[in-house]
Amino acid sequence: MKLSDADFEILRDFIYNTCGMFFTIQKKYFVESRVAKRMEKLSIRQHGEYIRSLRNGVAGSAELKQLLNDLTTNETFFFRNPPQLKALENQLLPEVATPKEKIGFRKLRIWSAGSSSGEEVYTLAMVLLERRESLLNRWTFEIVGTDINDEVLAKAREGVFNSYSVRHVPDLYMRKYFRKESSERYVISPEVKKLVNFQHLNLYDDNKMIFMKTFDFIFCANVLIYFDTASKSKVVQHFYNNLQPYGYFFVGQSESLHGVSDKFKTVHFPGGFAYKK
Amino acid sequence: MHKDGKLEKARQLVKGIHELPTIPEIATKVLDLFDKPDVELEELAETILVDQVMASRVIKIVNSPFFKPLHEIKSLKRALIYLGFRQIRHIALTCSIIDAFEGKNGVFDIKTFWEHSFGVGVVAKIIAQRIRYPEIEKSYIVGIVHDIGEVFLSYYLKDGFQKVVDEIKGTSGNFVDTELKLLGTTHCEIGFCLARNWNFPAEYCDVIANHHSPSSASHDPALAAIVNLADLFCSVRHLDYGGREWVSFNLAEEPAWEILKSFSPAFADLDVERFCYELDERVPEIEDLVNSLFEGMIKR
Repeated sequence: MKLSDADFEILRDFIYNTCGMFFTIQKKYFVESRVAKRMEKLSIRQHGEYIRSLRNGVAGSAELKQLLNDLTTNETFFFRNPPQLKALENQLLPEVATPKEKIGFRKLRIWSAGSSSGEEVYTLAMVLLERRESLLNRWTFEIVGTDINDEVLAKAREGVFNSYSVRHVPDLYMRKYFRKESSERYVISPEVKKLVNFQHLNLYDDNKMIFMKTFDFIFCANVLIYFDTASKSKVVQHFYNNLQPYGYFFVGQSESLHGVSDKFKTVHFPGGFAYKK
Repeated sequence: MHKDGKLEKARQLVKGIHELPTIPEIATKVLDLFDKPDVELEELAETILVDQVMASRVIKIVNSPFFKPLHEIKSLKRALIYLGFRQIRHIALTCSIIDAFEGKNGVFDIKTFWEHSFGVGVVAKIIAQRIRYPEIEKSYIVGIVHDIGEVFLSYYLKDGFQKVVDEIKGTSGNFVDTELKLLGTTHCEIGFCLARNWNFPAEYCDVIANHHSPSSASHDPALAAIVNLADLFCSVRHLDYGGREWVSFNLAEEPAWEILKSFSPAFADLDVERFCYELDERVPEIEDLVNSLFEGMIKR
């Protein structure tokens, strides 16, 4: 069934106001198809009824979670957010690294919170390695991936990926940092692996969160959308504290921190924005 | 360089061009009609009908994919009714400016220029609505014409401007600084001289001159700030002239943001993220609009 523009707007405003994720009208057909899948599962025939069911207390929150899983396709792959990577390479890395280089403190610490099976962590490690010949000559890197799910952490530590995960890896990176064992088995190189480490962490755990200190960059994509506003504010406050005074925080495509924290400043670049401490 | 120095240099450059582009009388009339809220459709139709080329263009544009009427519209009057009074003014003005520079080869692609111009116009209008600026229409129009200085440079000072474009290419340099360095003036002052020459209203000239330095605007810093911010938001949405390797801005550090917050304190609470996503939504629409204008401009 066709999702009317009016229903699309009601739904996207509801999702934005509860989760902080905005779907532009260009994504209407995508949203329509994902909603159709959920409606079929629940034997709901009218969009209005489905939207009402999302607002329905505990059951509604559970359904919203399911829908978000489908809408974020619940998957991660290498080089998932090119505008963000480009901003990092073109502007933010030089901006952060240059003053550090001057005082001889050649170390970068990056945290990917909600790292899942590790694609983002390894992507960042490779991007930094590529800069080792130029901007980051003789630097050391530490890239930390954290997740609450031990299963995905184990997969991340293993560092073996399928063709779907690596489909956007540029050739240069593919040649340098992967070993292709079969058409469905791409193994990350030891050089990349030794820059990263994966840890179990619950973002709600204040006692552990306060020890995640002195990061230059923090990435947290498609995680905060599952939290209520109060928890979001608390977690984001931790991220703020965990950043160096000049550090940057990134959320996923279509996400927003509006109403969650007013401490960060937005820095706009082609295709997105970052939050500056 | 001192402000007067830049302006003097721009004057000389504009004066040095013997055949300055002229803008049809209709464009000046269209701008004049702004201050007459009670202008009638008949009056506008008569003004446009005087210019047969313009009249046929309007009909062509109204039948283009962007406006997509159900049935082909054949008469100017029906086109005016369909498009609405406001839309027609923008079209008339734009066609006039496109005309003024037609038949010459410029340094950059003129279509990209119009995508940027309409982008800034649309975003300026959205910002004006948000801050409850009383003259929304004016924000749109002045957004559309803010960079006429660039077109002038691109067409009439080709060699110098080519150097500017080459210098910027692949770097994060911007037009204003590079133009000042290589030409001794910028598209702001050039645009100002051109707009004066075309008898644009003084407040338009002021914004054209100060769209990169809104605090210096003497007539209406808020209007200059609206255009400045719209320009920034467009620059990160590929609605710019391209060529630059990198562009970014920190909203909190922009003087225009401060000006608009003091104009409308509620603007400080703007949901910047949602605002950005909503702007992203409008980009294809702006590209369609410009395509439609160009389709309507092709001579039979």
